[in-house]
Formats: sequence, C-alpha cells, structure tokens
Amino acid sequence: MGTESSNQLWRSMWAICWKDIKLYYAKGPIVVTGVLFPLFLWGAFYIGRGLDPKDGLASLVTLTIFFTSSSVTPIIAPWETRQRTLEMLLSRPVKVTTILIGDILASTIFGLVFTLPIVFYSIVLGVVLSNVLMATVIIMVTVIGFSALGVLFSALPTDTPADVVLLSSVVKLPLIFVSGVLVPLAQLPTWTLAIAAASPLTYPTDLLRQLYTGNAFFPEWVDIMMVIIFTIMFTVGALKLHEKTLSTRLQKR
Amino acid sequence: MTSFSPRIRVGKRKENRPMSTIAIEAVNLHKRFGNVSAVNGVSFNVTEGEIFGFLGPNGAGKTTTIRILTGILRPDSGEAKIMGYDVHKDPVKARMLIGVVPEEANPYPDLSAWDNLTLVGSLYGLSKRTASERASRLLKLLDLYEVRERKARSLSKGMRQKLLVAMALIGEPKVLFLDEPTSGLDVLSAKKIRSLILDLKKNGVTVLLTTHNVEEAGELCDRIAIINGGQIVETGSPDDLMIKSGLYTYISVKFDRPINPEDAGQFFKAWEHRVQGSRILLICKESADPIVRVVEYAKARCLSIIDIHTSPPNMEDVFVKIIGG
Ligand SMILES: Nc1ncnc2c1ncn2[C@@H]1O[C@H](COP(=O)(O)OP(=O)(O)OP(=O)(O)O)[C@@H](O)[C@H]1O
Ligand SMILES: [Mg+2]
Repeated sequence: MGTESSNQLWRSMWAICWKDIKLYYAKGPIVVTGVLFPLFLWGAFYIGRGLDPKDGLASLVTLTIFFTSSSVTPIIAPWETRQRTLEMLLSRPVKVTTILIGDILASTIFGLVFTLPIVFYSIVLGVVLSNVLMATVIIMVTVIGFSALGVLFSALPTDTPADVVLLSSVVKLPLIFVSGVLVPLAQLPTWTLAIAAASPLTYPTDLLRQLYTGNAFFPEWVDIMMVIIFTIMFTVGALKLHEKTLSTRLQKR
Repeated sequence: MTSFSPRIRVGKRKENRPMSTIAIEAVNLHKRFGNVSAVNGVSFNVTEGEIFGFLGPNGAGKTTTIRILTGILRPDSGEAKIMGYDVHKDPVKARMLIGVVPEEANPYPDLSAWDNLTLVGSLYGLSKRTASERASRLLKLLDLYEVRERKARSLSKGMRQKLLVAMALIGEPKVLFLDEPTSGLDVLSAKKIRSLILDLKKNGVTVLLTTHNVEEAGELCDRIAIINGGQIVETGSPDDLMIKSGLYTYISVKFDRPINPEDAGQFFKAWEHRVQGSRILLICKESADPIVRVVEYAKARCLSIIDIHTSPPNMEDVFVKIIGG
C-alpha cells in the first residue's frame, strides 16, 4: 500500500465531492444565482446595446462558467472551519489536497451542468460552432481553473466566510471588466489590452468567439495555452497555499 | 462504595497484556497559543491493548494533546508517533490506524447520520458495501439505527455523541482517541460505551480517553495520567495513584468474639488502628499486607472472621489530592 492507496484516494475524493453537491450545490438559491447572474450581466451588455446575441454567446458561456464554478468553492473551507467539520474530516486518513480536489471536482460538475446546456442548446437553435470537441474541452479546463480559483481564495486562513467572499468579490468583479468578456478585445483601447491580457477570462472568451464567429484577437494556440496555464496555476496555487495555511486555520477557535 | 479490591485488578490486567509494543508515543510535546502554554513537555507511552486515561481540570491541555497526537495541531516541539509512524511526517499512514472522537469537531449537521458515517467510511477507503455493512452494525449497536435517516442537527446531544463514536469506529482502528466520549450520555448509553471500550480492548485496540468522570477512569483505565497546567503530574494504575496520593484505606474486621486490645495492638503495630470489642479498624495506605496479617492473627488466636470490609479512597479524592485541591 502506498501512502494513500489509489483506491482510497479515489473514494475519498468522490465522497467529498458528493458531500459538497449534497450540502452546497443541490440548493435552490445557489442554482438560481448560477443561472440569473451571468444571464443578467450578459443581457445588460449585449441585448441592452442592441448587439447580436449570437456574437455574445462566447461571453455568456464564459460568464456562466465564472459565476457558477467560482461561487461556492471560496466559502467551503472557512465555513467548515467554523462548523468544525473540517477537523472531523482531517482526523481521518485524508490529506487536505484530496479534500480540495474533491471540492474542485464538485464545483466542476456544477459548472458544467450550467454551461454545457447553453452550448448544446445553441447548436440546436442553429448557431454553428466550428469545433464542438475543442469547445467542450476548453470549457472543461476553464471550469476546473475557475473552481480552483475559488479554492485559492479560501486559503485565507479564516473561519469567517464573509472574509473570503469579500476577497473574492474584490478580485472577481474587476477581472470581468478588464477582460474581453463584455467588450470584444478588438474594441478595447490599447492601454486596457495589457490588463486584459492578464485576466483569465480573456482567453476562453476569445477562443470561444473564434469557434462561434471565426473572429478572434489572439491566435488559437495562445488562447489554448493560456487557458491551460491559468488552470494549472490556480490549481497548484490553491493546493500549495492551503497546505501552508492549514495549521493556522485549524488553530482557530 | 467500597467495591474494588485493587490487588485483584492488577493480576487480571497483567494477563490481558501479553505484548508490549508501543502504540502511542508522545515525546516532550510543547504547544503554545499566544502566551498560553497549553501543553508544556508532555511525554508518555501507551502500550498496545492498553486503556490509558487523561484526567485533569478544565484547560489542563488534554484536548490539545489529543489534537497533536491525531495530527490536527502541529506541536511547537516534540514528537508524536502512532504504531511507530510519525503523525506529522506520515499523517495518512498514522491516521489510517486511528479512530477519533474529537471533543470539538462535529458531524455535518445537514447530512443524515447514515451519510455522515458512510462518508467517513469512504475516507478510510472502504467500498460502498463494506461501509454500509459496518455502518448498519455500528448504528444498531449504538441504538441509532432507527434515526439513521435523520439529519445530524436534529439528533440530541447524546445521539450525536454516539454518532461520533460510530464514526470513530467505522475504520476499525487499532488506536482510539476518545475525548470525553461519555459526556452528555444517559446512564445506560454511558455504560454501553464503557463496555464497548472494554470489548475493543479485548480485541487488542489501544485506547486513549479523557473524561471528567473520575470513577469512570478508575473503572476503565489500566493507567491514568493526571495532567495539570500542560504537564503530567502523576502517572500510574488507579491503584498506584491511590497509593501515591497518600490517602488511606480503611479496613474494618469483625471477629466472632472480642479481642484483647493490647495483644492486637502489638500484632498490628505497623499500622494505625483502633480496637472496639470484637472489631478492629486498620488505617493504612494499601490493603493487601494488612489483610494477610489479619488472617494470620485470626489463625494464631483461633478467631473466626465474621466480616471484613475495605474502604479504599475513592478516585475522586485521589484526583483532588494529586491535583492539589
Ligand atoms: N485554539 C486555541 N487557541 C487559543 N488557546 C487555546 C486553543 N486551544 C486551547 N487553548 C488553550 O490551551 C489550554 C488547554 O486547553 P485544552 O482544550 O487542551 O484543555 P482541556 O484539558 O481539554 O480542558 P477541558 O477539560 O475543558 O476540555 C487552555 O488554556 C485553552 O484556553
Ligand atoms: Mg478538552
């Protein structure tokens, strides 16, 4: 047997994922937020300005991913620290990393459940997508990345969910506005472009826009690479940072 | 209550302890919170199959020590090992062997008793089937089977406590940490948990428990560590502690006819004593030798012993004496 046999690792991860879905995701309010938030924001920008909704599908998908998959992960760790269930879990043969991967998994499933239907329904409505497989894969990687981003926020060793919600809002909202998600990159002034290039929302939007309309700002390979890089960065960052702050977190009373 | 004769328990205990592998090893543990020194140089070993008790006043450092030993808290210095595995270097391996009833951790309030239990089963890597089998067995054993579908938040305090015990046992641990396992339990449930602990011991499980019920500790534990201000102030079997406490055992003997006070005084001069008609009262620090002497006296003087009655100090007095209250 290894440190944590693969069987055990797998079972632990799914058990955590299942617990998350049951406790956090299968709830009315969270489901409503997941649908309404991106839809309103998107509607306000695209339909409100009389743009063709078809051109904006890439933005709707990215916003939905962003709002669903990074919405719950930030609060799980502080909430469960406060509730003293985290200590209950960690008294068992399981590493924080395994728990966090379970959290990311649940958030990924949640994100995909909201995002993929938009893609498939638009296909049914006749909006052509030049590469459905590529779109699906890139959506999956993005969902994982944004889920991990949520987990990254929760590495703040606090037992007050509001602290993390504040932190994540402060980071997340500007990210939306500096990325090409609401206004196509080509229409941004050059000085904001530099900032947009640093936003993780920019690349999936750009790639999806390419797949939907054939117009994109960056070459396809740049978008793909950046999506992958951001996802790896957020995931590794989340796991490492949590390991660092765990003992402070468990000392909270 | 004057029930137990210490010496007999000592003999029994030796029979039950064939091996001497160290199951829990604490080496010079230190832990500070700000300027509170919660654990201040705690060292002890618990042998496999032993029931080891932690007794001490509120804030003595019992829970902190257990949280260090189960890998939740990192000690400022010192070492904690479970069956040879360093808890902080090899946490998963060590925790694979342990079950914990934490004092301050909770089951998920919004999951059912069943889901909480099988969730923990999965963390030990159990298959769904094995987890379900063990969960049913444990819930039945602890009288929780009927409420298994209820959310943990809707359970009474005692039921929740029993659920935590079930959660500690589902991984079939070799080492159990029980932080106040019987707190909040009714008399019957507490009794059940105690007999469960003794059954586990028979199967070779090592147990470290804390309790504020001193008599319970005396009844269950092979050895007790009395901890105060983050330090172990005394360790020993309940009997050792009685002797170490310096408290007296009273032995009252009734013979079939009056005895001669002077003669008896000479015979029992090693102990403080009083003679009254056919009775003698001996005040001593342990009971075995005086009782042998009483029997010898009866034989030598052709007396019959009608009644012999020992009152060892109770554990509570012993505890209070050692803590220095
Ligand atoms: N997380 C923490 N932060 C700050 N202080 C703490 C923390 N945990 C424990 N302490 C302090 O350390 C000391 C020991 O506490 P501990 O919980 O170990 O005592 P205990 O022996 O279990 O007491 P009780 O019988 O009340 O359960 C106390 O003074 C307590 O206030
Ligand atoms: Mg305690």
